[in-house]
Amino acid sequence: MLQTLPRRVVVTLLALSVFFPIGLVFYQSFLSGPFFMPSAIFSLESFVFIFDDADFWLALKNTLAVAVGMSLIAIPLGALLAFIMVRTDLPGRKWLETPILIPIFVSPVVLGFGYVVSLGPVGFFSVWFQDLFGSVPWNIYSLASIIVIAGLTHVPHVYLYSSSALRNLGSDVEEAARLSGASPFRVARDVSIPMVSPALLYVGVLVFFLGFEIFGLPLILGDPEGHLVLTTYLYKLTNKLGTPSYHLMAAVATCIIAVTFPLVLLQRFLLKSAQRFVAMKGKSARQRPLMLGPWKWVAFSLILAWLFFSVVVPVAGIALRSMVSSWGQGVNLLEVLTLDHFRAVLDEATMIRSIVNSILIGTLGGALAVGGYLAIGLTTHRKHDNLARFVDYIVLTPRAVPGLMAGLAVFWVFLFVPFLAPLRSTLFSVWFAYAVVWLAYGMRLIQSALMQVGPELEEAGRLVGAGQARVSRDITVPLIRNGLLGAWLLVFMIFEREYSTGVYLLSPGTEVIGAQIVSLWASGAVDVVAALSLINMALVGVGLAVALRFGVKLHD
Amino acid sequence: MTDKTILAVDNLALSYGNNPILKGVSMQLRRGEVVSLLGPSGSGKTTLLRAVAGLEQPHAGSVGIAGRAIYDAAANIDVPAEQRNLGLVFQSYALWPHKTVFENVAYPLKLRKVAANEIVQRVHGALKNLGLDHLAERYPHQLSGGQQQRVSIARALVYNPPVILLDEPLSNLDAKMREEARAWLRNLIVEMQLSALVVTHDQSEAMAMSDRILLLNGGVIEQQGTPQEMYSQPQTFFVADFMGSNNILKGHVGEIRDGLARVDFGDGLALWGIRRSDAAIGQAVSAVIRIEQLHLAKGAGEHRAEIDLVTSMFLGDRYEYVFHVGDKLLRAWGKRSEGAGRRWLEFPPEAVWVF
Repeated sequence: MLQTLPRRVVVTLLALSVFFPIGLVFYQSFLSGPFFMPSAIFSLESFVFIFDDADFWLALKNTLAVAVGMSLIAIPLGALLAFIMVRTDLPGRKWLETPILIPIFVSPVVLGFGYVVSLGPVGFFSVWFQDLFGSVPWNIYSLASIIVIAGLTHVPHVYLYSSSALRNLGSDVEEAARLSGASPFRVARDVSIPMVSPALLYVGVLVFFLGFEIFGLPLILGDPEGHLVLTTYLYKLTNKLGTPSYHLMAAVATCIIAVTFPLVLLQRFLLKSAQRFVAMKGKSARQRPLMLGPWKWVAFSLILAWLFFSVVVPVAGIALRSMVSSWGQGVNLLEVLTLDHFRAVLDEATMIRSIVNSILIGTLGGALAVGGYLAIGLTTHRKHDNLARFVDYIVLTPRAVPGLMAGLAVFWVFLFVPFLAPLRSTLFSVWFAYAVVWLAYGMRLIQSALMQVGPELEEAGRLVGAGQARVSRDITVPLIRNGLLGAWLLVFMIFEREYSTGVYLLSPGTEVIGAQIVSLWASGAVDVVAALSLINMALVGVGLAVALRFGVKLHD
Repeated sequence: MTDKTILAVDNLALSYGNNPILKGVSMQLRRGEVVSLLGPSGSGKTTLLRAVAGLEQPHAGSVGIAGRAIYDAAANIDVPAEQRNLGLVFQSYALWPHKTVFENVAYPLKLRKVAANEIVQRVHGALKNLGLDHLAERYPHQLSGGQQQRVSIARALVYNPPVILLDEPLSNLDAKMREEARAWLRNLIVEMQLSALVVTHDQSEAMAMSDRILLLNGGVIEQQGTPQEMYSQPQTFFVADFMGSNNILKGHVGEIRDGLARVDFGDGLALWGIRRSDAAIGQAVSAVIRIEQLHLAKGAGEHRAEIDLVTSMFLGDRYEYVFHVGDKLLRAWGKRSEGAGRRWLEFPPEAVWVF
């Protein structure tokens, strides 16, 4: 067939973009030094080194504690939230839908910073609490706090998947159980929960997996007391031996991927079986909400309390922190209001560059990424051959590589390949890393848009004489215009939110806000970090507002 | 194959994985003829149509249009769908929602690089033929179901394909419109002298619209013939059962004489009917009686039986009587409402088919 050539080109480029950086990480992990050093030879010494390092085992233990702990918090709360939102007559359900999803779109490093300025030892809320009650009973820097915060901020992930499973469940199956004599409680226990359990299992694995990737929160909250997790351990390794310890970082990355890749495959398997489960049920009839009665105010306050803790506290903290010059006991915040921090940001060329770059990478870069994802989507659309299956697995692979490491791997690629080297300190390298890291996410958006196109619309095109390329151009792509616009907006928000992928690519010319915050935080420039964080949230907020204005669904 | 043959399918076989869908189907469509592919769901009728269109991948056999092979497994020929130059009217109509009616119909001509002014002329001609000219600037969602169907037909006809394929063309219309559309479509096909292959699962639709019917069952052609042949001379139980509304009684052959067989049903009922299979005495058989062939009789007589009438149902143009024979139900039609009780029913032997 004629279109096989472009198809092969797309797949080859895709395979190279994904496997070359990851291959480089594996290769590097089996060398005795950085790959550009002539003295580097094949050896296992980097693994020997990290396995001998007590910090590595501590980090592993903490990572497991965080992953398990946040799953235990996020899954029951998320499932409960979904049940209340989807199945009951809670007041203001429509209105609550969007705020619930906000934590997904706020950069974790910004969130972590928000908690520090709000609940840290001298945070706004801590100070107010101390004024009222005399002392502060929490320590934001403990491992337990990290787990609780990680758990509460991952509730939306659980909510997304369990609510869509609950929505797909027709109330006819529940009503059938009611009529057979089951009480509402028995209905939930014997029918509803078992029917969404595949989705819950999937989301459980997903949250556990996210626990392994988590970087921004432990970077900021774990630092003062030295609670390392694997990703922050990797980050600290950067200069552990004085020289760039690439081989050690690669070894840690290899260890993380050895855990995350099987988890990604497990998720894929679970998602498929969950969809099969949903497909088994008949037509989903109109749903009747469960009457909560007086309990609805309890449920309502619970949700508001959670929103207060996971959205209002960090966001308000940052907003306040970026606009005051000092605070503490006895300080009237109204008297210390200032815009100096923003002026400081705007005075420095680097900061302005990072803002401009962030906007560019979200708008232009987002559009380019969506274009690339679309090209990949079209190569596999309605095809069930081996090439399509191969693409399926390529797309999954970067999902297993946390952004920090993907950025590192891309950095190495641009270091390693001579003709790419000039691009290293351009925004292209950052865009490339972002596009690869969010490949699986973007492809899901594109594929769900493509799935909306009825196959017969394309077949009709074939029948009247259009070849496959022509059908794509004249029928498929015009039909998913709205889906593409939505994907662009979502990718914009994700790219604005991104912080870890750019960390190793940060150089003059490639600054983006997220990576800039990570780097400034290390240098202690808290005022500027606060201002940048607020600007970052504002950018995401603009994306969110436009997306809502156009009626883009925030989830699939 | 004669030179009148426009579409020839020879021994076409197709499987989904290990699941055979078409097990060697052969058929011909002559110029100006309407052939229906009829069968229950899963019989392979839509798959056959789609294989002819080039939308499904067979693994054996051949398909030829006007003497030119468009698919031939042996000769390794497989012309892609877009080069087969066939017209297909989809069950869902498959109008492109982002194009106006005019653009939908013009697209095939645009692909064929027809000059712009000729496109305008031909599209308007096609739309006028179908009574749609005033809707040219509308979008599909602004049309009724019947109008959408006509646009879909216009799109499939505008480039004069040698054969037009219709996939369940009436199934998306509501019951009342369906009968009108059936007459309209048959008239259009005859008037424009189209050669059409129509998929349908509705036997009355197939009989009304086509010159010949192919009844598919489990991936093979069970029987083919004119609607009259299919209805009154079914060769197998499946065909007898599928065509028409039937009473089906299971019993055993008790006696065979002069091409007739006596079937005993237990509980005293025994009927004479035409032997349609070579079932011997004592073998289990099914007797098929068209509902319209059963009549109430005034009193006892040959080929009559007295059985229990349970209830009458009013169907508008007639009554349907429901009888009990042991644990089985029998249905018959009549003009009057009848109260429950014992009634004489006549079973003419030529209307009882024994399989």
